[in-house]
Amino acid sequence: MTLHPIRLTVNGKSEEASVPAAMTLLEFLRERLYLTGAKEGCGAGECGACTVLLDGLPVTACLVLAVEGDGREVRTVEGEAKATGLSVLQRAFIEEGAIQCGFCTPGMIMSARGLLERNSNPTDAEIVEAIAGNLCRCTGYEAIVAAIRRAAKEERDRR
Amino acid sequence: MLGEFEYVRAKTIKGGYSLLAKAGGEAAVLAGGTDLLVNIRAGKASPRLLVDMKGVKSLDRLTFSPKTGALIGASVPLNTIVENRGIRTRYPGLAEAAWTVGSYQIRNRATIAGNLCNASPAADTAPPLLVLDAILEVASPRGEREVPVRSLFVDSKKTSLSFDEVVTAIRIPPVPATTRTAFLKRQRVKGHDLAILNVAGRYDPATGDLQIAIGSCAKTPVLVPPLGEPVPPDAPIPELARRLEALAIQVVHPISDLRATAEYRRALLPVFIRRLLEALLQQSDHREAIR
Ligand SMILES: Cc1cc2nc3c(=O)[nH]c(=O)nc-3n(C[C@H](O)[C@H](O)[C@H](O)COP(=O)(O)OP(=O)(O)OC[C@H]3O[C@@H](n4cnc5c(N)ncnc54)[C@H](O)[C@@H]3O)c2cc1C
Ligand code: FES
Ligand code: FES
Repeated sequence: MTLHPIRLTVNGKSEEASVPAAMTLLEFLRERLYLTGAKEGCGAGECGACTVLLDGLPVTACLVLAVEGDGREVRTVEGEAKATGLSVLQRAFIEEGAIQCGFCTPGMIMSARGLLERNSNPTDAEIVEAIAGNLCRCTGYEAIVAAIRRAAKEERDRR
Repeated sequence: MLGEFEYVRAKTIKGGYSLLAKAGGEAAVLAGGTDLLVNIRAGKASPRLLVDMKGVKSLDRLTFSPKTGALIGASVPLNTIVENRGIRTRYPGLAEAAWTVGSYQIRNRATIAGNLCNASPAADTAPPLLVLDAILEVASPRGEREVPVRSLFVDSKKTSLSFDEVVTAIRIPPVPATTRTAFLKRQRVKGHDLAILNVAGRYDPATGDLQIAIGSCAKTPVLVPPLGEPVPPDAPIPELARRLEALAIQVVHPISDLRATAEYRRALLPVFIRRLLEALLQQSDHREAIR
């Protein structure tokens, strides 16, 4: 099995590694970098628990090869919080009760982050569409939509 | 780990097809991977080598002009197609079909080339590309050739392409500004599901030219045989729908699967033909999904 050298930026930090072709980006993040925020729910693109931003766009990391990450910029939920504390988006999830078991949360947050970066004032329909690929078995989604709506407003107000 | 395979990022189109040719049918092009990697993981595909064409710059381009139509590079993700103004205004049925594929995350990776080459009977971009008479630009060690989407699908999950052929682009011929296209899809849940039935149509009120295509209702997506006469914009829809249904049942063979029974598909068919005609002739909005 050939090992492929890769170099990528993860949460602003430059990383270098050698990976086998069949390693997914999700496995690389979790097992090599110990960034265990992104989860493997289905491994087939359906649940969104593994959502990360690849060059700013949400993708399911279970369906991206680690070698395909070479030269790219990846962001995970671990990049949300800053030294000053949780992000506005993370706090909105807590305040709206949008987290129960938390398994879907890292993926939800990254889908929401991707949405807020392309649309700072999304409608509820746009929020629902942005998280249509993220399954949550606990919350019933309403609190999640409310959290994203709230974070959008707070982020706008700060600017 | 997904399985046992090697990976090469091709730098040129020639580099890509040469690798495919050398692997003698044991290699596969990796586009978005949203079918291929899922199939590998499920043990339904076991290529020895994945040839990633996304490093080839020319495959990344999407150009549109009303005079020449659209040229969609094989690596262009569906979201880029959905967001393209030219595609949205001139081929709204295609934009709609691309938009209904999977979720936002999936569409940031998935491509039209992959959707067509995977050759699922339910491939959402197939019906609109059939009615638009789109053409695949294909390259192999034997040179370049054009393959109409209308002659691409051979069987469920089988295309007429050879193992050493790389799709480089999808070309959509220009259509008059008066041409309307529409796409309708029945699915169980938005964001996670293939179609139970998907239909697309193209209609030009100026010429009366009408074509419809149906997906998820036969071994391949199918073009319904033409009516053979122009359809005026005020044509009575119930009668027109009955005639098209009679033509459609010559080419569809609905089956039962985990998404729906053959009987349900057969019952949906006239409903979706009627709605499609209403969308094309009367411009009514029958799209089901949230927006
Ligand atoms: C959660 C989920 C939901 C989905 N929902 C839908 C849906 O609603 N509707 C739908 O139609 N599909 C759906 N799909 C299937 C899939 O996303 C689409 O078919 C997608 O368009 C495939 O494109 P890709 O770029 O990911 O192809 P890949 O997986 O990379 O490739 C698919 C096949 O095409 C071949 N191929 C790719 N590019 C080329 C090329 N340039 N030349 C030659 N061969 C090539 C590959 O070798 C492979 O055999 C879904 C998939 C998932 C995981
Ligand atoms: S684990 Fe990737 S989508 Fe479910
Ligand atoms: S909080 Fe449990 S899955 Fe969403």
